[in-house]
Amino acid sequence: MKKTKRFFKASLPAFALLAMVAGAEAEPVEINFYYPVAIGGPVSKIFEGLIERFEEGHPDIKVNPIYSGTYSETFSKALTAYRAGQPPEVAVILSTDMFSLIDEDAIVPMEDFVKTDEDKAWLAGFNPVFMANSRSQDKTWGVPFQRGTTLFFWNKEAFKEVGLDPDKGPQNWEEVVDFATKLTKRDAGGNVERWGMQVPSSLTSYWLLQGYVAQNDGKIYEETGDKTYFDSPEVVEALQYWVDLAAKHKVMKPGVIEWATNPKDFFEGRAAMITTTSGNLTNIKTNAPFDFGVQILPEHKKRGAPTSGGNAYIFNDVEPQKQEAAFQFVKWLSMPEQSAEWSIKTGYIAARDDAWETDAMKAYVAEFPGAAVTREQIPYMVPELSTHENQRVARVIDDAIEAALTGGKPVDKALSDAQQEAERILKPYRD
Amino acid sequence: MTIAASLPQSRGEKLWDLLEKAGCYLLGILWVLPLLYSVWMAFHAPEYEVRFELFAPLTLENFFNAWNAAPFGRYFLNTFMLISTILVCQFVICTLAAYAFARYEFRGKTLIFMLVLVQLMIMPEVLLVENYRTISQLGLVDTILAMGLPYMASAFGIFLLRQTFLTIPRELDDAARVEGAGPLMTLWKVYVPLARPIYVAYGLVSVSYHWNNLLWPLVITNSVTTRPLTVGLQVFASPDQGVQWSVISAASLMTSAPLLVGFLLFQRQFVQSFMRAGIK
Repeated sequence: MKKTKRFFKASLPAFALLAMVAGAEAEPVEINFYYPVAIGGPVSKIFEGLIERFEEGHPDIKVNPIYSGTYSETFSKALTAYRAGQPPEVAVILSTDMFSLIDEDAIVPMEDFVKTDEDKAWLAGFNPVFMANSRSQDKTWGVPFQRGTTLFFWNKEAFKEVGLDPDKGPQNWEEVVDFATKLTKRDAGGNVERWGMQVPSSLTSYWLLQGYVAQNDGKIYEETGDKTYFDSPEVVEALQYWVDLAAKHKVMKPGVIEWATNPKDFFEGRAAMITTTSGNLTNIKTNAPFDFGVQILPEHKKRGAPTSGGNAYIFNDVEPQKQEAAFQFVKWLSMPEQSAEWSIKTGYIAARDDAWETDAMKAYVAEFPGAAVTREQIPYMVPELSTHENQRVARVIDDAIEAALTGGKPVDKALSDAQQEAERILKPYRD
Repeated sequence: MTIAASLPQSRGEKLWDLLEKAGCYLLGILWVLPLLYSVWMAFHAPEYEVRFELFAPLTLENFFNAWNAAPFGRYFLNTFMLISTILVCQFVICTLAAYAFARYEFRGKTLIFMLVLVQLMIMPEVLLVENYRTISQLGLVDTILAMGLPYMASAFGIFLLRQTFLTIPRELDDAARVEGAGPLMTLWKVYVPLARPIYVAYGLVSVSYHWNNLLWPLVITNSVTTRPLTVGLQVFASPDQGVQWSVISAASLMTSAPLLVGFLLFQRQFVQSFMRAGIK
């Protein structure tokens, strides 16, 4: 039933385009655009500037930018509005919520609007690893917008102090333990003044686990979004390594480490090496009172790191004419120049190769080489955990990680429990 | 109390008294500590967020940064309009409803009162979609009225006032009637003045709730001209990046200042009201 509705809708934009050409003199088409703010700074102002330029080039479209809180609030707001029959035309929502949005029948695939060769070239221009969280059933349900990854940072002064080469970060799991052991500093009473390594674990900790799992040549979920592998040996080993940093090697602060305070601990010299999001690059660059190094994540069996961030989705149950306008906007927003600009101003990764080739981006990388590190990691990236009922499944694995890190449960038990629970949630989607 | 104080106290009582006072101070300090800490962070540069130096240089820069991060002037106005609309409507609606439930007999009274009480059991979040649908049918999406409408007929307020009105002696009511007062005049001259502490207590609970409410206002409004302060504060929630505690402290102090100042000014009234109303 829903499928036929969607098919019918898919053929409508063609007429809409005709209508738009015919009515070019008429009122501009108004579209609402929900966007979340996940980083500090004047994001609203950057958006307003972009939209102003878009409207100059498209006088027949008017975009209302609507700031909608955090990612999860944006999800609630957009879904509430959709269920009440007033969906936004476009919204930026977590890429991992894609399956939830599809299950609600709330979004339409980009293929409905891609017609010209230029459109096709635009869609093909995104980096495949970012598209993994935007595609399902051979359709593209959203386009990458404000994506990030995890990076590894170290304090060069601390390295010098303990006789390590300040220009070279640890390259594999063993070196991390080795360096961290040297860097962990205790006072006479045995109290730790500086931890060697800190990995945040307060929220979305599955995301960091994914990095370790990828480096251990495993995966934690199937890209079809209906199966997880939480209790596979690769995942167990990966979590064991993470837990051991604190429990066995005693080089990481025990218990849960807050995302928000992790960079702060780094600035204050209480942690010599940290992993955190690439979104923190600008923050660390501005606030670290010492020389710091930044590199891609250390390897084990191979390199690996997860992606993160949002997609721009076009909503269902909207007049075709407005959807078409929404498509024009989404397309414009993710063109190389705009991608590069957004990346430079916010620190997110440009998800297209051609964005990295723009003059603005080249100039930026030349001035701040740290920015290129995120690009260096792209070949090793894996898509972020994204399943049906994603928020529930993510919660299950997050709780398991927390239980393991705080010593509440042994690693294998925590993970096999989590797998059972995830199985219970996801089974209906496989039958 | 005065008699007890004039009697010579035994040593045990004195010790107990001392312990009690010490306990009060301890709890008081624990309670005020986060507030003091955020004041400290708000007035110092970010370097001093976790380092305590008594004579660290003071700065107002955090406040400027916070103020410029979102149109707070407008948000203050919106919040003020929102809470005053809600409060006035709540007082009028709850008073009239409570009066009817307390003093009038009509068919189905118990059933209707039960239905009102049921509203107490339902979390407002559950009604998000349904409320949105109603508001959009009324054509009120993105207005200040829309943010307040679902809260105006407050079950809690009706219940609280009804219980209070029931405790007021019927004789007063009768006396007013004998003097020639109609039902509304009786309500206005007898019931409302006697329930004043309850109004103050309920008003405070309502104002602080709506001052802090985020989800519904965020969902139902879209533009700067309608959104309240809490939405403005969300600008600082930046999980992808480090959190700037000093700016957040400045922003939250700034936005809660009117409430804090109001509470300090009317402290005695509030405390008395709460003692009489028996709610917290």
